[in-house]
Formats: sequence, C-alpha cells, structure tokens
Amino acid sequence: MKGNSLAVGLVVLAVVFLLLAGLYYEGVIQVFVSDPQSKHHTSHAILFSVLAIASLIGANFARAKRAA
Amino acid sequence: MSLAQALFMGLLQGATELFPVSSLGHAVLIPSLLHWSFKQSDPSFVPFLVLLHLGTAGALLFVYRTQWVEIIRGFFTAALRGRIERPSERLAMLLVVGTIPAGILGVFLEHQLKSLFASPQAAAIFLIVNGLLMLGFEGLRRRAEARVAPAAKSRVEQEESFAAAEQISFKAAALVGACQGLALLPGISRSGVTIGGGLVAGLRHQEAARFSFLLATPIIGAAGVLEIPQLLSTTVPLAEYVAAAVLAGLAAYLSARFLLRYFRSGRLDPYGWYCAAAGAISLALLTFRP
Repeated sequence: MKGNSLAVGLVVLAVVFLLLAGLYYEGVIQVFVSDPQSKHHTSHAILFSVLAIASLIGANFARAKRAA
Repeated sequence: MSLAQALFMGLLQGATELFPVSSLGHAVLIPSLLHWSFKQSDPSFVPFLVLLHLGTAGALLFVYRTQWVEIIRGFFTAALRGRIERPSERLAMLLVVGTIPAGILGVFLEHQLKSLFASPQAAAIFLIVNGLLMLGFEGLRRRAEARVAPAAKSRVEQEESFAAAEQISFKAAALVGACQGLALLPGISRSGVTIGGGLVAGLRHQEAARFSFLLATPIIGAAGVLEIPQLLSTTVPLAEYVAAAVLAGLAAYLSARFLLRYFRSGRLDPYGWYCAAAGAISLALLTFRP
C-alpha cells in the first residue's frame, strides 16, 4: 500500500514538473531566470522535463517494489 | 583575445577542470594577474567557454567510453524494469541521483552567484577556502583510516579497505552531487568537492575521482550543449576557439589519466596546500599591486 501511494505521488509530481517545464518554456514563469526578457527559458524547461522523467522512473521503482 | 591567449586559456581550462584546483577560479584570476585586456563580460567569451567545456566533456566521454555504454544501457534497463540488478545499473542510478541536485542548483543559482562573486578578489578568497576544504576532507579521511584500517602496511592496502563507486548509498550520491553546487563559486573546485565528498562517503581515492569524473560529464556536456545557440548567434573567431577547445580536451584527457593513476595512493593534500598558497598570493598581488 505504501509503495502504491508513493508511486501515485511520484506520478502526480511528474505531471507538476511537466507543467512547470511548459510554463518556463513559454516564459510564463520568470522566477530565478538569468534573462527575464527572453521568450523561452530552455534550460529551466529541460531541467523540469528531466525531473519529470526522474519522478516517473521513481514511480516505476516504487510500483515494482510493491509487486515483488 | 589573441590566438596565444585563447590556446593558453584552453590549456588552463582543460587541465584545471579535473584537477581539484578550480578551473573557474583560475580562469578569473590568471587573466587579471597577467593584465590581459579581454573582458570576460564580452559576448564572445561565453561561446568560448562553451567550446572549452565541450572539449573537456568530450575527453571525459572518451576516457570512460566503455563504462558510459554500460551506464546508459544499465540506466534504461533498470528504469524500465523498476529494479536494480547489476553494478552498472546501480552506478547509472547513482549518477542520476547525483546529477539532479547539481542541475537544480546550476540552473537556478548560476547566474546570480556568478554575478555576485565574479571578482578576482572573491575568486582568490574562495581558492583559499577550497584549499582548506581539501585539507579538511583529508583530515576526516585520516581519522576514518585509523578506525577502518589501523593495521594496513601500505597506502594501497589502506585504500583497499574502502568502497568502490557502485557501493555508496543513494543519499551519499545525492550529497556528493549537491557538493557540485559549491563549484558555482569561482575558486571552489567541482572535482575537489566531489572527490572530497566521495572520500567522506567512504570511497577509495581512485573511486572518488572516477565517480567525480563520471558525475561531471553530463553536467559539463549539458552546460556546453545548452549554450550552442549562443555560439551560432555570435560572430566569433571559430577556428581559434575550436583549436583552444581541442587543446582543452587534450589537457583534460591527460589530466584524467594522470589523476586516476595518482589517486591509487595519492591524497588531496598537495592540491589543498597549492590552492591555499595560490589564493593567498593572488589576494596579496591583487590588493597591493600598483
């Protein structure tokens, strides 16, 4: 049960990270950016995409642990 | 920047990136001490650094080419399976865990920290701090050696009592990765703090260096790749810069080979003393020069 809720939590986190990646890429969020005039904050978008993938991998680990 | 200056900077960056002596600190201090006229705030300087970083990352990829194939394969296998079964899979996941904190700190704080501490005086002070950190890491290690291997007859035997990179905990990998964030301060060495962090986590010196170099590759490579658009959008003397990048790669390759051999029994102390002395001398020269 614990592994399952952790997996769900990590999937939710991945969705949040993906949203943040999109918002940074579109220049909607300007927090901690080097150039506020820039239309796209690519490095921030890539970072949040990587965090989303890492969260999904974490969720897969939590799910597999529960199944074992 | 003249061709000779570009080549010198390439050589300097490639060599100091992997030695625990801070490449950024040297890149800020040496041009200032030599009264070189090129400005690091110049728009063409960022593309120059980008190419140097790509040269260094290329050298590291070449040094560990076989291991990287195993690591990438291990990453995909373990990620899809949801379970770690082989040492290469564990190393891949340790590198992911170690890279994330450095990536977060780099993306969010790099610009702010660089603009705060970009002065040669700050770099000299942080170089002294870096030296003290190296000596502190070795001090902690000597205590651990007295506890773990009191009867060891030689340095090599002493080192064998400690772990390989694949054996450290995920928490330790995250901490070593977070240590990389300190290297955003000019004068603090990325490889120095990660090797030191690895030693505190119980790795052999050579394994701490290997983990540090493997951890550096994605960060240095990504930093370089992300800045490529700047390289293409600015008018730069590309041939000179590429020559400097090749030299940086060559220096990084030779440095990695040397350091991996050195750390079979060598320690961080000489680099600690060097950084403390170089920082103090630089600070005195910068403060009292006419």
